[in-house]
Amino acid sequence: MLPYFEAMNDLAISAAIRESLWVIAVINTMHLLFLVMFAGAVLIVDLRLLGRGASEQPLAQVARDAQPWLVAALIGLTLTGIPQFLSNALREYHSYLFWMKMAVLLVALVYTFTLRRHVTLAGEARVGPATRRAVGLISIALWTAVVIQARLIGLFT
Amino acid sequence: MCAFAGLVLMMDLRLIGIGNMRTPFSQVHRSLFPWQVVFMTSSTITGLLLVYTEPLRFYSNFLFWIKVVLMVMASINALAFHRGTYLAVAKWDLDLMPPFGARLAGAVGLTLWAAVVVAGRLIAYNWFTTP
Repeated sequence: MLPYFEAMNDLAISAAIRESLWVIAVINTMHLLFLVMFAGAVLIVDLRLLGRGASEQPLAQVARDAQPWLVAALIGLTLTGIPQFLSNALREYHSYLFWMKMAVLLVALVYTFTLRRHVTLAGEARVGPATRRAVGLISIALWTAVVIQARLIGLFT
Repeated sequence: MCAFAGLVLMMDLRLIGIGNMRTPFSQVHRSLFPWQVVFMTSSTITGLLLVYTEPLRFYSNFLFWIKVVLMVMASINALAFHRGTYLAVAKWDLDLMPPFGARLAGAVGLTLWAAVVVAGRLIAYNWFTTP
């Protein structure tokens, strides 16, 4: 895989981002703003799954309302994450935390759009409170792990 | 920080009238406010620790002071909303178009907290530092 990462690292756009201080600052800041939006859209549903969210409101409604913000935030995170990655492709290749983040991210994405989505849209009648709590806790744990590893990439390289 | 700002964003979207519209505002508020307090407290503690480790670096950073002022302004906005428009929440709880005061508080809160995040992130680059 190393040759591919070297090729991405050597792209003209990667070098341009790397060499301009303010471009990467703007991209990093936008990535963080989308992360805030993503955290809100995930947590409003997960806290509800734990049984402490908007309790009187059906779970499926809260989840449906949050979904467009979650998807929009994910698109924003991807669009800002790609140039972040390109500008540092070689550093990321050698970072154990980067690979860990991508692995957990993949699991978290699949989990969010399959099991979690299924449980949140199923409604309270079909899924018991213990299952809902477990689904919410796993979601919080997975996404927290992704964020922590992402933060640490910048610190330990 | 992301948890705090994210939940504030979700509440502000409801206030402005563009998100979480199937839930009455008072319910969004009641369910999210305690968590906002929890995450704000942890952000404050960790934030103070960060400043305490390098006080001079922050003191000399213009963006740090911008961030402090923005946080004070955001707090005043939240307080004004709680003492004002929110007192009559029963009248507009389910409105698809909340009253002007609520939409203003939401838009101002959203803008200020986003600016806090931007200023906070940019502190790391040590621009605009006075020696």
